[in-house]
Amino acid sequence: MIRCEDVLREVSNFIDAEVTEELRHEIEEHLRGCHNCTVLVSTTRKTLSLVSSSRILELPTGASQRLMERLAPHWS
Amino acid sequence: MPRGAHLTLEPAGDLSQASDEELVQLVCLGKRDLFAHLVGRYQRSVYHIVQGILENPADSEEVLQESFLKALQHIEDFRGEAKFRTWLTRIAINEARMRLRKYRTKLHDSIDDGSDDTMDMRPRELRDWRPNPEERLADAELAKLLEKAIRALPRIYREVLLLRDVEHLSNEETAQALGISLSATKARLLRARLMMRDYVAPHFEKRWHHRLLDRFTQRRRSV
Repeated sequence: MIRCEDVLREVSNFIDAEVTEELRHEIEEHLRGCHNCTVLVSTTRKTLSLVSSSRILELPTGASQRLMERLAPHWS
Repeated sequence: MPRGAHLTLEPAGDLSQASDEELVQLVCLGKRDLFAHLVGRYQRSVYHIVQGILENPADSEEVLQESFLKALQHIEDFRGEAKFRTWLTRIAINEARMRLRKYRTKLHDSIDDGSDDTMDMRPRELRDWRPNPEERLADAELAKLLEKAIRALPRIYREVLLLRDVEHLSNEETAQALGISLSATKARLLRARLMMRDYVAPHFEKRWHHRLLDRFTQRRRSV
């Protein structure tokens, strides 16, 4: 029987599907009866989905050109 | 030259479909200007990671340049044991850390902020979120909140989160790029993710009247 502490320790691996089949079943079983752990898993998963979808950083203006100019003497 | 790479492309042909390893091989064979293709593929990602560590656009741009320059100068040392992207990322992280160390030494501060200790990980705010939390904030606000949350992470957690969850490297690639073990990578990732969750949770939790409604609905269902 796994406890909330075990779910907390494995939540990241569980989300990445990097737990054994047996542990996955145990966690899923635990989640069916534990509101706190269910919230922990769902909100952590949602956090990661927000992080992965919203962070689009462009290069500063002209940075790409300055980079190429810096490298060009080394490949000509 | 990467082991196991088999050259099948003519240098003058369309190289947009060439693998990184094929391009590296051509660069090693003397077509050094083809390195520009690799720059085009990874400049944003490298800048992104470096800026996440240094938080200074001018320094990040210099480190971006130094990283690609170093990669080009040492391209013959690339053996293909890791993917080219992982190898390049490792160079960039080391360059960024060196720059950070230079500043921190001046301030008599430690670069190794944060620890791998997995104790004391009690998550806060264990209340459920709205069904679509992103609708709560406009795109710009959400991006700002996430930037702030990432900046608030101690460096070792920020690095692992950037590589794994922003740049989508695998756990193994993240470990190689950071030069740490797979188990240390996973331990740091767990903490980083929980800290991120804790940081953003108060912005997305259900409001008190929604929670009350949920409880009421559940009670009605169980009667």
